[in-house]
Amino acid sequence: MTKKLLMGNEAFAHAALEAGVRVVAGYPGTPSSEVIETVAKRRAAGAARGVHVEWSTNEKAALEVAAGAAYCGARVLFTCKQVGLNVASDALMSLNYVGVRGGTVLFVADDPGPISSQTEQDTRRFAAFAKVPVLDPSTPDEGFAMMKAAFELSERYHTPVIVRPTTRICHASTFFDVADETEARPVPEDGFAKDPKWVIFPRRSFEAHGEINERLREIARDFAEDPTFAAFNVVVEGGGVSAGDGVAAAGAAATSGSQAPASGSPAAPAPAPRLGILAGGVSAAYAREALAIIEREARAAGAVVPAYRFMQVGTPYPFPADAVARFAEGLDVVLVLEELDYVLEDELLRLAGARRLPVRVLGKLTGDARGRGENTTEDVALRIARFFDMRGFLGEASRNTRSDTGEARSGVATGTTLGKTAGQNLGEDASSASEGKNGACAVSERAFLAPLVEKACAEVASSRYEGPLPVRPPVLCAGCPHRGSFYAVKRALGKRDAVLCGDIGCYTLGNAKPLDAVDTCLCMGAGITMAQGFAVAEPHKKQVAFVGDSTFFASGLTGIVNAVYNGHDITVAVLDNATTAMTGSQPHPGTGVTLMGPKRKPVSIEGMLRAMGVECITFADPLNLEESLGAAREAIDFEGPSAIIFRSPCIQLKKPESAVLISADACTGCKKCITEIGCPGIGFDADAQGPRSKGRGQAFVDASLCNGCALCTQVCPFEAITVAAANGANEEATPATTEGAKELAATEGAKASAGSQGAPSAVAEGGAR
Amino acid sequence: MINVLLTGVGGQGTVLAAKVLAQAAQSKGWQVRTAETIGMAQRGGSVISHVRMGSDGEQVHAPLLTRGTADLVIAFEPGEAARVLPFLAPDGVLVTATTPVQPVTAALSKEPYRAADVLRGIKGALGARQVLVPVDDAALTEQAGNRKALNTVLLTCAIAQDHIPVTVEELKGALAACVKPRFVEMNLQAVDKTLATLSVR
Repeated sequence: MTKKLLMGNEAFAHAALEAGVRVVAGYPGTPSSEVIETVAKRRAAGAARGVHVEWSTNEKAALEVAAGAAYCGARVLFTCKQVGLNVASDALMSLNYVGVRGGTVLFVADDPGPISSQTEQDTRRFAAFAKVPVLDPSTPDEGFAMMKAAFELSERYHTPVIVRPTTRICHASTFFDVADETEARPVPEDGFAKDPKWVIFPRRSFEAHGEINERLREIARDFAEDPTFAAFNVVVEGGGVSAGDGVAAAGAAATSGSQAPASGSPAAPAPAPRLGILAGGVSAAYAREALAIIEREARAAGAVVPAYRFMQVGTPYPFPADAVARFAEGLDVVLVLEELDYVLEDELLRLAGARRLPVRVLGKLTGDARGRGENTTEDVALRIARFFDMRGFLGEASRNTRSDTGEARSGVATGTTLGKTAGQNLGEDASSASEGKNGACAVSERAFLAPLVEKACAEVASSRYEGPLPVRPPVLCAGCPHRGSFYAVKRALGKRDAVLCGDIGCYTLGNAKPLDAVDTCLCMGAGITMAQGFAVAEPHKKQVAFVGDSTFFASGLTGIVNAVYNGHDITVAVLDNATTAMTGSQPHPGTGVTLMGPKRKPVSIEGMLRAMGVECITFADPLNLEESLGAAREAIDFEGPSAIIFRSPCIQLKKPESAVLISADACTGCKKCITEIGCPGIGFDADAQGPRSKGRGQAFVDASLCNGCALCTQVCPFEAITVAAANGANEEATPATTEGAKELAATEGAKASAGSQGAPSAVAEGGAR
Repeated sequence: MINVLLTGVGGQGTVLAAKVLAQAAQSKGWQVRTAETIGMAQRGGSVISHVRMGSDGEQVHAPLLTRGTADLVIAFEPGEAARVLPFLAPDGVLVTATTPVQPVTAALSKEPYRAADVLRGIKGALGARQVLVPVDDAALTEQAGNRKALNTVLLTCAIAQDHIPVTVEELKGALAACVKPRFVEMNLQAVDKTLATLSVR
């Protein structure tokens, strides 16, 4: 065993390997990609024996590869991001009916915010839709344990199991004890046993549906009672003692992670809590921090934190109803904290209805929790503080209600919720609870804690820079070949009315000004097919669809066949940079590089296009403007489906050339190099002066960013920008061949994944730049 | 609890710097959590790394630190330093590189983006107990012989402030553990050269 600082995703890969996973397949997507990269790295280093790992063509292919191996009894792991599960959903829905033999774990990373995604869909919801169990960690450590438990569960019930972390779990790091070497569990000798159950038929599905329903009931019981899984549904108690040393124990209790309720102070037994907090995912970690903050502030101010019960649901589906019912016992109100959808909130409401629990549920549906985006410790602290401040009402009102009617109603008599106090409702922009300044007032003189938390946050965060700051959105890297492709297509189109359909990848960034070359982006591969819809509806315009090489294979092919078959007059611009760049330089079928070592014959994009019947195919190096313009014009002018293949490797795959030079004597300050192609390697110095700049200022090169691609030298009308003479500036950097670079990308995937512009592993690790 | 926030522009090396700090903290027996910006924002966008250390033996739950709690902010770019100012603790230290990285948005706009203006603004915004440490990163990385040593240079300047209980020796140990073997020596030299320059001043 070795203690290592691991990112969540790296740790999950270790966990799967330690569980004896035999087959690992997926498709890259932030924040999920590092799992497979870690498995590949461990395998390449000889530390993970017997495992097969691959980047599949897309998520559907990956899940089906995994399913086949699982039918034979192999433990398998499938990985993707949340929208990747949409692609694999056809397979998943049926796979659950057929069932599996070897442990089948689907690692699906959600992305609240969203930070790097198209949607804020919630895989817990997807799991319920597919009737597949799902585990939801609040920390990387917990995810590590869940990964192993998921394989157990899968084999116990022959069901696929989803492990769903979110970005802040996947990309958070902490130290782990991991095995130095792992051995994949061998496929059982009897292997695949032929049986009618493997063939999905309507009649079989009807039977299987009954089995699914039965096993979900049993799994819900396991989640509530079986120590292996019940440990993920932690209940702790705190508060309930007056300010002083006792209160500190509540914060400590919230950290204990034990099943047993821990009371605040041994000296003064805490009153039974009537307030509950139910949390899932990283919000549970935020809630624990928030409780510690509230207790600290209360202690400092001599205020009282009411008795509360906290529960984290780490197994949201099937809902561990018995465990949550025990949690809810004696509670008047529960505040539910979760990101993305209101899954726990729905389940708790249903539970309260089904079991007639006298508990009121506050959360996203009542406007008491953020309806979208990420939660934060600060926001959660304020919401919990406001929630605690309700206690004044609760005591009397709820007692009255109960004794009068015995009805399941909370004491928040007039339907006042925190949402009103926070001035926020579901669907509103819930950027920060602290913006609802009037919140504390609504609970009048009983508000103690919210003002304390608000004050604490406001005071410590007093420093704010008031001056103007330029926004810094993500951009195509300096030297990125896509820049030349977009520029050439736009120039070739000239004044011609056109719709430019983009797609998923780095090249979505072509939408930024000044390129402004992406009019639509929907989902993987959609650009090609949407362009055809535009062509039908607006035939007077030209439609160009941009697609990356990895996306081309993942989901571009059917769209191209459709264009040929139905005769749509579109031009497909394939941006072939020889890698899956956005997610960190993963190989794909067009590279021939595999995670298992041997290089296969690359699948040819040109060959595919020809085979599908595209008759006009042109080629260009996007860093050569003239060549690109010619290729673009020819393809655009062709009647019928046509394609341009722009070929130039991603800058991550090659050593940079020397930075270009801008002559102060020649630069007129016209800014054309900036307004035409918008490269981050070129800045503008309003104070610079040259003989021809007439007080306009001058452009300059940021040599730490410039890649030497020389596109700008072809754009400058005054020949003020030149390629640096070969003067040995590159002496440390023997230019890698594209092939070599690709191999590097494959074997050092994890390194690459972290990096844009050679970044994270950058402590003086590069060559000249 | 010690909180450190690292910020910069995607590609500058904040992720590895955060890892080095985490390693240093772990060598002291502290529980550590870090969180990174990975993905689309890395393409030249603003990036933030959070490092949280349980220096008093406390449990660290959340990977992200909250506003006003960063004991130390290490900024790789002055504009990004300004952006994260609300995170700085009332008695926090802000160590920032002074070389600006001009975004395309700034090059396109008519508003000039000047590091001096930003640094002046930061200085004016700081509370009485907050400290600004501007670092001449251009000179120090040139002296280290490699612009890629930016993160080591900034980490050294930050540790040299003596504001968090991590020593130069612990920093060096962490660098040796985190950086590829063939680059260890270069980084350790960058630490020493930076320290030498600081002590001369």
